[in-house]
Order: sequence, then C-alpha cells, then structure tokens
Amino acid sequence: MEEPRIGVYLCWCGTNISKMVDVEAVTKEVSTLPYVVLSKNYKYMCSDPGQDLIIKDIKSHNLNRVVVAACSPRIHELTFRNACEKAGINPYLFEMANIREQDSWVHTDRSEATLKAIDLVIAAIRRVRYHEPLQKRTVNVDPATLIIGGGISGMSAALEIANAGKKVYLIERADHLGGQVARFDLTFPHLSSAQQMIGPMIQRVENHPMISVSLNTEVKEVDGYIGNFRARLAQKGAEQPEITFGNIIAAIGLKPFDPSVIEEYSYGKFPDVITSLEFEDNLRAGRILTKYGKEPRNVAIIHCVGSRNRKYHEYCSRVCCMVALKFVHEIRAALPEANIYEIYADMRAYGKGHEEFYAMTTHKQIIFLMYDQQKRLPVIREAHRDDDCNMLIEMNELLSGIDIEVPVDMVILMVNMEAHENVKEVVRTIGVSLCGNQFFIEKHPKLDPVATTTGGVYIVGTCQGPKDIPDSVAQAKAAAARILATIAQGSVPVEVTTAIVNESLCCGCQTCISVCPYSAVSYDEIKKASVVNEVLCKGCGTCGGCCPAGAITSKHFTDRQILSEIEGIMSMSY
Amino acid sequence: MSVRVQPELRSQLIQFGIGDWNACYHCGTCTAQCPLSEEGFLFPRKKIRLMQMGLKDELEASVEPWLCYYCGDCSTSCPRDANPGELMMSLRRYLTSIYDWTGLSKKFYTSELWELGFIIVFAILVVLSFLVLLPSMGYHFTRELTAQGGVQLNAFAPIHVVETFDWCMAAVVASLLISNILRMYYKIIWKYGNMKVSLWVHIREFWLLIFNFAVQPKFNKCDDKRYWLSHWFLMSGYTIMFIVIVVYLPWFQTQKILPIWHPQRLLGYYATFGLLFGLFVAIIGRIQRKDVKFLFSHISDWLFLAMLTLTAITGILIHIFRINGMPLATYISYITHMAVLVPMILIEVPFSKWSHLAYRPFAVYFQQLKRYAVPRESGHP
Repeated sequence: MEEPRIGVYLCWCGTNISKMVDVEAVTKEVSTLPYVVLSKNYKYMCSDPGQDLIIKDIKSHNLNRVVVAACSPRIHELTFRNACEKAGINPYLFEMANIREQDSWVHTDRSEATLKAIDLVIAAIRRVRYHEPLQKRTVNVDPATLIIGGGISGMSAALEIANAGKKVYLIERADHLGGQVARFDLTFPHLSSAQQMIGPMIQRVENHPMISVSLNTEVKEVDGYIGNFRARLAQKGAEQPEITFGNIIAAIGLKPFDPSVIEEYSYGKFPDVITSLEFEDNLRAGRILTKYGKEPRNVAIIHCVGSRNRKYHEYCSRVCCMVALKFVHEIRAALPEANIYEIYADMRAYGKGHEEFYAMTTHKQIIFLMYDQQKRLPVIREAHRDDDCNMLIEMNELLSGIDIEVPVDMVILMVNMEAHENVKEVVRTIGVSLCGNQFFIEKHPKLDPVATTTGGVYIVGTCQGPKDIPDSVAQAKAAAARILATIAQGSVPVEVTTAIVNESLCCGCQTCISVCPYSAVSYDEIKKASVVNEVLCKGCGTCGGCCPAGAITSKHFTDRQILSEIEGIMSMSY
Repeated sequence: MSVRVQPELRSQLIQFGIGDWNACYHCGTCTAQCPLSEEGFLFPRKKIRLMQMGLKDELEASVEPWLCYYCGDCSTSCPRDANPGELMMSLRRYLTSIYDWTGLSKKFYTSELWELGFIIVFAILVVLSFLVLLPSMGYHFTRELTAQGGVQLNAFAPIHVVETFDWCMAAVVASLLISNILRMYYKIIWKYGNMKVSLWVHIREFWLLIFNFAVQPKFNKCDDKRYWLSHWFLMSGYTIMFIVIVVYLPWFQTQKILPIWHPQRLLGYYATFGLLFGLFVAIIGRIQRKDVKFLFSHISDWLFLAMLTLTAITGILIHIFRINGMPLATYISYITHMAVLVPMILIEVPFSKWSHLAYRPFAVYFQQLKRYAVPRESGHP
C-alpha cells in the first residue's frame, strides 16, 4: 500500500459551524497529525470554489486520501466523492466528519464544541487511512417485465410499459382481468361508470402485441436479481415454460374484510345485512331489493367495518366514506322515498373533489348518525313483531349522546381493505417485506413509494396500502416510468459496499442466511460455505455483525476501518 | 331505553320554515359563541341534531328554543351556512303548534289560506256586528247620532257592550293560552325524563316568570343590545294598551276629551310611541334584511307586523279624528281598528307568533324548575 497522503478540509457552513466551532483552531490542531499533508478551511466547502480547492490540492500535492469536516454525509458525501473522482482518485478514498448536525447545531459551549470537532476530525483521519479503492459495478437489464395481478393497477402499468414497446408478462390468478374495479357500478366523486372505464382497458390489454396475458396463473418460483430474473409459472396447476425478465411489479390487490367476525352486525345471520361489494353486485344488476324481493324503505350504511378499530384493523381504508356517499346517490336515484342513514365514525373526504362530493351528498335528504368505532359499535337486531321494518340498529349517537334505535330493511357494511390472502406466498417468491398490516413495504415512505428494498421489484396499488383508483393508477404509472428508465439505460448500478465471505473461515452455520433481509446470502453445498450474491447485497452489514467465525467482511466497513475510527475518537484526553 | 328515530318528522318540520338543515356538520361553533347557551341547556347545535335525527319527544321537551332571542350571531359564524338561528326560529313555530291542542296553530303556520281566511272571517264578523248587531240592540249607527254634534264615541260604541266583549275575548284567549302553557309544562317538566320538582320550588321561583316577562333580561345578554331596547318598548307599549283596553276600558274610552297631561292620555301616548318604535325597527329591519335575524321572513312574521301596524295606525286615527270632532271618520276608524285588533288577538296570541309573550317567560321559569329537579324514585311511571 502506498503511503497515505491525507488532505483535511473544514467547512464553516457560513456561520452554521463557525459560530460554535473555532474552525481555525481545529484546522491547526489536526495539521500535525500523521499522514496529514495539509489542512485547510473554507466558508462553503460544497460550493464550486470549495470543490475546486480539493481538486487542485489533490493534483498539486499528490493527495491520495481526503477528509471533509462539514455537514451530514447524507447531504454532501456524494458531492465530495465526485470531486475526488474528478481529481483522479477513487471516490471511496474519502471520509466525511459531521461537525454540524452532530456538533455545532447541538451544542452551546464553543470551546467544548471545538474539542468535539477535533475528535470527530481525528476519527475521520484515522479511518480514511485504511480506506481501500472500490470499483463501481453495473448489471444489464432484461427489457421484459413481469406484472403480478391484472387489476386496474397491474393493467395500467402493463399498458404504460407495453406502449413504450417493451415486453410485459401480465399474470392473473382469476379467470378474468379487471380485479376489484370490475365489481363496481359507479365511481366517486364523478359518478362515472366503472364498467365503461375498465371494459375498454381490458380490451386494450388483451389485444396489445407487447402484453402476454396469462389468466388462471400463479407464480411458482422467482430467482435472479435486478435486471436478470427468471420465473416458473403454473397455469391451473400445470407448469409453464420458464420466462426471463428484468423487473417485477407486484399488483396483487386486496381482500375485502369478512364482517362475520363482528358479532354486533350479524352478517351471515340476517340476509339483508350485506357488504359494500355485495351491494355493488346488486347495483350492477340494476336492482336494490331485500332478500324478500321488496324495495327497502329504510337503508342504513355502516362505515368503518373492520377499520379504525383496534380489535380488527387500526388503519383507515381511505375509500369507504366516499363509496358510501356514492351509494347514497345510487339509492336516492332508485328509491326517491327511502330513508337513508349514514352511520359513520368520521367523514373523511381528503381527496380532489371529495369534500365537494360530501357537501353535495348532504343535500340528498339523508340522516347522518355518528358512532364511536372504538368503544361501542352499533348492534343490528331483529325488529319486533309489530314494527314495519325488518331490523333495528341500536346505537349511541355520538353527536347527541342519545341511545337511539334505527328502523332498517337493508344494511350495507362498508368493509375494510385487507391485505390479499396470497400475500405471504408472494413475499416468499419475490422477496419483499411486509408491514404489520400485511401490506408490502415501500423503499421510502415519502421519496420512493413505488420501489422496494429489493432492486427491480416494485409495488403498486392496494397491495402497498388501501387506496382509490386514481392513486393506484398513479403509482402504477410511476413504477412503469421507473422500469422504463432502467430499460432505457440498459444497465443499473449495483451496491459497491457489499459483504464478502472468507470461505476458509466460514464454519457453515448459516446464521448469515437467516438474518439477511435481502435474501442475498446462499449456502454453497460443495464448498460448505456461505456465498454472498453481490447484486442482491445492499451492504447493510447484518451478516458481518452476527458471523460467529468473523468470516464475513463488509466492504468499506472493515474491522480495521471501524476500530481506527474508534481509536481516533478516543485519542484526545481532556 | 332507546329512542326511535323518526325521519318522517322532517316533512312536518319543513312546513314551519326549516330549509336545509343537513348543511350542519356539528362543529359546535354556534353553541360556543352563543351567550345564552349554558351547561345543561346547550343550543343551537344540539337542537339541530334532534331535528336531523327526528327525535320528536326530545324536541317537544326542549325549553332551549325559547331561550334563544335570535341575535343571529350563530348564523353569521356558521362555516356551513346552516343558519342555526333560523332553525331555532322555525323550531319555535313548530313548538307553538305542538303546545296548541286545537290544531289550529299548525293550520295557521302551515297554510296561508287558513290564517288569512280566519283573519278575514273575524274582520267581517266585527264589521257586521257594528253595522247589524249593535243597531239591532238599539244602538243606532245613524246620522242622528252624529248630528248631535261632536264625536259621541260611547254612544256609537257603548262602553259596557265593548267591555263585555273585551272580557269575553280575553277569557277565550286566556283559557286557550293557559291550556297550551299547561301542555308545555306537561311536555317539558311532567312527562319528560325521570325527574320531580317540588311544589316549594314552583312557588319560590315564580318571580322569575314575572321578571322575565317584564324585562327580558335574557334578550339583553345577546351581544347586540339595540333589539332588546326596541323590543322592550314594543312589549311595554303593547302590554299597557292591552291592560287599559281590557281592564280599564271605561277609564280609557271616555266621551269627554281629557286634558293632555291626564294619565289617560299620557299612558296612551307612551304606549303608542312604544308600539311605533318597536314596529319601525322590525319593519325596516325586515325590509333591509341587513341583520341575520331579519334575513328570513315567514308569512307569520309579516302578518303579525302588518296587523299590529294597522291596529296602531287606526288607533292613532281614532284619536286624531275624535279630538278634531270628525264623527264619521272616527267611527269608521274605530270599526277598522276593531276589525284588525280582534282577529289579531284571537289568532296571533294563542295560536301564532304572539304566543311567545307567554312561552318565553314560562320557558325561563321551566328552565329554572329543571335545574332544581330531583330524580324520581324508581317504580314511578
């Protein structure tokens, strides 16, 4: 290894750092440390003149290691790595010390903060000495895409990708495309027909030359990594030829909550207590009739069935409030004289045009009754013999505090959106994680809501969380755009700081395999040692941390690098 | 015990002037800013809720609508334009019809034909009694009468006949009103809830009734004090006029024109001023429609103002013509005066808007009784 020649740069960050840290003193203090060739400070290191200073010094002083003490590496590590690369040294021969978030911003004593800055910079200097150059790697991307689920989300993504001229394998477990939307009559808030929307879309998907639709089909096995997946499919149990593709979209959808577990509602016991989806079936058939074949004179719609209740699901399904209001319009049109009750817990009208839709619906002569969905659910009972209704709903009306009973002939339960029953199987085959409610977890809740922690695997629609049609479509198209970008690039960069196994030290306990969140470690039966797939590995370091034999090293986080860093931070005595 | 919701109540309430009550989404802003709403007697939101749900018995047992004096602040601050002030006003109309056992109140409030029809029939009866009944009894409304010179008011309208009629009318109105108040008491105190109020509390708190009738202190709690003043002038003028006409008619309606400083004339002038002042404020307000409280006028609101104004104007005309010795004009004014006054008192006081002169102070009294109510022992129905 060549002699380390380290350049140290301290940033003032305007007054953000210089106000609390004596930058000059730190610069002077670290300048005499071993291997430090020079130490400088500048008002804004991240600015172009700041970066130019580093580039110029690397060239003129022949530096081969750089330390910048500034803000968080989350903000500017990449900036300075690029500067190093520009100057001709490997970007991994750089280390950043955070003297803003971890020092100047959080302390009030200037002299102590300055001492802390010295410690942090020394630690970085000690660490960077042992940094090794790492090479960037890429893998080629197969232009085909596998989409699991033929609902509106899967079809939207499929059309988007296929219209760009790329191959799509769209597989659907049921015997038809369309998913849940195919069951709906009208949609909110414009009351436009779901059938007229989904019908032509199915046609387009089925007739598209770039989309290969497989109905009654399930994914048996997927292996490979981003850009290079292989899958075995099974159609009605019969194995299909293997397909290869570069990206996967999971659009497996939802399962409606089964309300029979809620005793209070007697679903399954009273024939005229039906779920919202069963009611959609009635609406599509063009009739609103009780099981006795009569037009109901009193219809109640109970919101939040299985939602927002710790006993069932704590989360909100987001669409049911508006669907319930949509039902009001459809019932009012069919039965102008009927009494309609909206038995709700909170009216949630968060979306575009939703509040207006709610306000408009309140003028449809309906009675809103509020209940406490945590403490006391309404109870549906059989009516007394002399009542002129089929059932009675007993409830405590929250806005008046009065115990009331509501005469009803038909009750519609607005059932919650649950994760699909197939979810565990899909998780196993494509390797994504689940949240507590069994929905797929996105890579970043704000900045990357369509990708997953597994490269090349995207999640769209209600399998990621309850959402309405526009949100599902938007997410599907976002995923399609992401995939088309990687296909257009032809290759994707993969993680550099991966783990490697020293096969001679590996004892074959396979602890690493059980802890790896990315399924990147496998066991080589011949060598009797664990093997890390460098494309799947994200460099989290979990395997290295738990390896009892010390056989696993995480690149850029070697024991020597970390121990020197610790020594550095402990070296000052005051 | 659960209460059954009655959605059909809606169609009934609509007839009393209630518009779109579903606009209310129960934020409670109205109740929060109402200076009259208080713990245990919260309104308007809670009353709107009862209306929306069709809880008839709860509504009929409410004193709160009468505790509202309609300053209109609730309607101004309502974020949904649900107009809680007008909903309370409509509720008072509904309650008036509920207290009334004859069913006429509901007819008058919900049918303009019925109300106008009754007024016209009574007016015709009054005119007929002057033209036919009195002459047949020997009181001739003839030229000889006027020929004697000056205005012979007591010969034209014999004082004991008019007085007797006044007392009869007062008795009818009072018995109707009292029976309605008893029904109000039954619904608010007796029937509703498991509570009992001792006789002593009834007696001890009775002063509240008198005090509230005379001063309307609750009205003065509204942020806008102007209407309390004009209302008080109207109320005091009306009350004085009513008492002197019914109880002291021989003292008030004299053949001789008394000097201007005589209490008879001073009282008359004060009452006339009070009436005119109150009427002026209300009529201008309802025409301008600047204040929320005057934004919506039910037919009963206008009829009430119109009849009272006509009564006042004809009363003033009688006085002017009499002082100036114009017999025929005086007699015609007198007949017109009576033709408006009689139906006004017979219809408005027991059945329509004027019944509030009794229901409001009684509501304050009943509210106080409710405060001192104790739970009834179990076993009592």
